[in-house]
Amino acid sequence: MPERKILGTKRPIFIIGVVILLALTVISFLAGALGQSFFGDIGLPSWLSVDSPHPELPAGEIFSIGGFAITNTMFTAWLSILLLGGFFYAITRRIKLVPGRLQVVGEFILGWLYNLCKDAAGEKNGRRFFPIVATLFLFVLVNAWMNLIPGYGAVLITNSHGEAVHLLRGANTDINMPLALALVSFVAVEYWGFSSLGTGTYLKKFFNFGPFFRSLGKLLKGKVKEGGMGLFNGGVTIFVGILEFFLEFVRILSFTFRLFGNMTGGEILLLMMFFLMPLIGALPVYGLELLVGFVQALIFGGLTLSFATVAVASHSEDEH
Amino acid sequence: MGELGINLPSLLAQLVNFGILLGILYLVAYKPIMKMLDDRANRIKESMEQTEVIKDKAEKAEEEIAEQLKKAGRQSQAVIDRGVRTGEEMRQKAQEEAKKETEALLARAHNEIRRERDGVIDDLRREFADLTILAAGKVIDRTLDKKAHRQLIDKVLEEGTELKKGG
Repeated sequence: MPERKILGTKRPIFIIGVVILLALTVISFLAGALGQSFFGDIGLPSWLSVDSPHPELPAGEIFSIGGFAITNTMFTAWLSILLLGGFFYAITRRIKLVPGRLQVVGEFILGWLYNLCKDAAGEKNGRRFFPIVATLFLFVLVNAWMNLIPGYGAVLITNSHGEAVHLLRGANTDINMPLALALVSFVAVEYWGFSSLGTGTYLKKFFNFGPFFRSLGKLLKGKVKEGGMGLFNGGVTIFVGILEFFLEFVRILSFTFRLFGNMTGGEILLLMMFFLMPLIGALPVYGLELLVGFVQALIFGGLTLSFATVAVASHSEDEH
Repeated sequence: MGELGINLPSLLAQLVNFGILLGILYLVAYKPIMKMLDDRANRIKESMEQTEVIKDKAEKAEEEIAEQLKKAGRQSQAVIDRGVRTGEEMRQKAQEEAKKETEALLARAHNEIRRERDGVIDDLRREFADLTILAAGKVIDRTLDKKAHRQLIDKVLEEGTELKKGG
């Protein structure tokens, strides 16, 4: 009689696995805050229960160099730089026309990002945008995913002020990091806009008074109907332009708080799940956070790319 | 702002971090890998073009070979034809020679035969004349003059018998 298999494993092993999983679920339920509120303390060892989290928004200082505070988020940002730099250095140190496995991975990632840029902005602009867009994507992604490494938030050190702070904290959860990236994105987009279209043409996208004053001239010459319509359209154009001008700056805020909010919220959610139901409860959140990290990185890079594409597109509305 | 944790040193530090990362990645990732991707794309394009050229060449060569084969076929056919013709001619010549030889042989044989026959006829006549003279002498009981009568007999024989010479 052939051996019966369940999900590719032998039946006894499968059953043992299910039992362990159930036991873990029960223990984590009972040990967590959720179970304790239902059943009270039933004498489980203290290392199983997790303290109530106290999320803090400002990054903690881990040490200082000459009065300049080095925060834990700066430290993790450096780690991510080392990680990314090391990974790509390992690939390109001995880059070959016929790639090895690691090189295929690196080429796949960059090739995918480059194709994204090329498809959105075309060959020439795609090449210009690619380094910034790819760096934004990789920086956000690696920092988001590094934050999910188990035990990441568990290392506590005492700094020179005598406070206990986390050695490692996801850099995206410190608002300075999303803000810095948003500023980079903003400056890059404006730079590309100015350099592609020229200062005058680029500014005309926002401050387009031409149609308004031309129509005013027509009105003064006595073409009342034509001039009146033109005056209205010109007014709308000015209003929309100024609105777009402010939107350019609002993007900094939206970029910053979208990333910051998602990452900080994700981290707090993870901490809360650990608190409520350690071990098992946080597992689905890890999966969710992997996805969120990828999506946020993609949004950051992708939005920068699409804003850049719009910025370099010459918009010739008053010619028609 | 303080609640959120925004502060200028951190912001600047993260900006610098981004700049460093951009620089590092540009040097170790974007430049070499993009160059490699471009190189590979060019290489593939080139090899495809080369393949096209080689295919064309091969086709041409094949056509040439076919042409040459055809030519060689024609040539060998010509050689064979010539050989066959020469053989035919040689056969005919040999036949003719053989015929001539046979005829010559036959003619010689005929002559021989005739000569022998003439000789035999001569002998026979002589014998017959002798016998006739002997018999006639017995009949008339006297010896006939062999020489005188032989001429007579020969004349008779020449006129009347079938033992003609050269017949």
